[in-house]
Amino acid sequence: MKTNSWSSLIAGAIAILAIAFPGRLLGQTAAGKSTGASGGSTQWSVQVDKVEPGDLDLEQSFQIAIYENLLKELSKTKRFHEVFRDGDRNAREVANLLVLKTTVEKYTRGSETRRAVTTVSGATKLTVRSQLLTREGKVVLKREVNGQVRLLGSNLRATHNLARNIAKTIKQSSWSEAEQPGATPTG
Amino acid sequence: MNRLVVPRNYRDAYSGGLPTLSLLVLLICCSLTAPAQNTSQSGTASEPFSIRATHLLGFEGAKSNCNGTLSIQGNALQFQQGGKHATQIKIAAVRDVFLGGESKQVGGLPMTLGKAAAPYGGGRVVSLFAHKKYDTLSLEYVDSDGGLHGAILQLNKGQGEVLRNELVARGAPTSSGRDQSTKQSAGEVAHENQ
Repeated sequence: MKTNSWSSLIAGAIAILAIAFPGRLLGQTAAGKSTGASGGSTQWSVQVDKVEPGDLDLEQSFQIAIYENLLKELSKTKRFHEVFRDGDRNAREVANLLVLKTTVEKYTRGSETRRAVTTVSGATKLTVRSQLLTREGKVVLKREVNGQVRLLGSNLRATHNLARNIAKTIKQSSWSEAEQPGATPTG
Repeated sequence: MNRLVVPRNYRDAYSGGLPTLSLLVLLICCSLTAPAQNTSQSGTASEPFSIRATHLLGFEGAKSNCNGTLSIQGNALQFQQGGKHATQIKIAAVRDVFLGGESKQVGGLPMTLGKAAAPYGGGRVVSLFAHKKYDTLSLEYVDSDGGLHGAILQLNKGQGEVLRNELVARGAPTSSGRDQSTKQSAGEVAHENQ
């Protein structure tokens, strides 16, 4: 009986506190959410730069497909206030702008026919280094991401998978923190 | 008697055949020059140009992987999907045109499902022959704000070059040193031979 009365007293006190300071508690939760989800309270915009093929002999259609798919996938994440294209004049006036640079590091040319016939070979694989930089050139996020098509779909599907993985990586990362070694999701 | 008649007839035939032969040669010459004239006419900038194409990605307002008609009207490149609203870009906004090639499986999803359902690996044998080579034309263009766009179009083999030449004739710039059609198709062949 004594224990029951103590526990009901504590529960009552918590309820009174919650009623007395609801705004404060909710405010704390919102602030926590904001920090966790968007890499700080600042709402950033991003400008996607043209894909750099590096030293690799990557077809132009792949570079264009990665670029276009990145724009689409980054918009879907809703992590950025605005997503700008390379060379967009409107990006100049934006205060909190990050620049996404993508450099292709590895590329394995596949074949759709080979995939259909063998099912184990002929995969198209892409590995890129994605960097988010501030306007001043400071790297805030650096990741190595893979994209591949193993069985069904055309070779260009690898670019869609890659862009989706890059967007996923950016969505899950918090770039206010110190640079961490990159995770490499595959798809 | 008859011997005399027969050679004379032959002689007549030869003498009457010479103009016929020359006329035939003239006709053959005309028929040879006609396609050349047609080719040169198709390159002129004023005539409308239309071709069937598949839009893979890039054009705003057009669905990905949809078939339609690609046409050049005046100074604009237009893609129209069926009777829907056409997407248009100005040729002056095109920054680069690249030609490529790809070998793809035909038949789409129904064919893929059919091949998967075929017993004793029959689907794999079908896959070995059920592929087709296409040309891909990649375009880089800028919008009114200066933002870079990219678009990829899939065309029947041989039509990519026609379209690229048409665009170049109408003032679109191209990186001649970066043509990838030969290189890529050679790569595909190498892969398929392995």
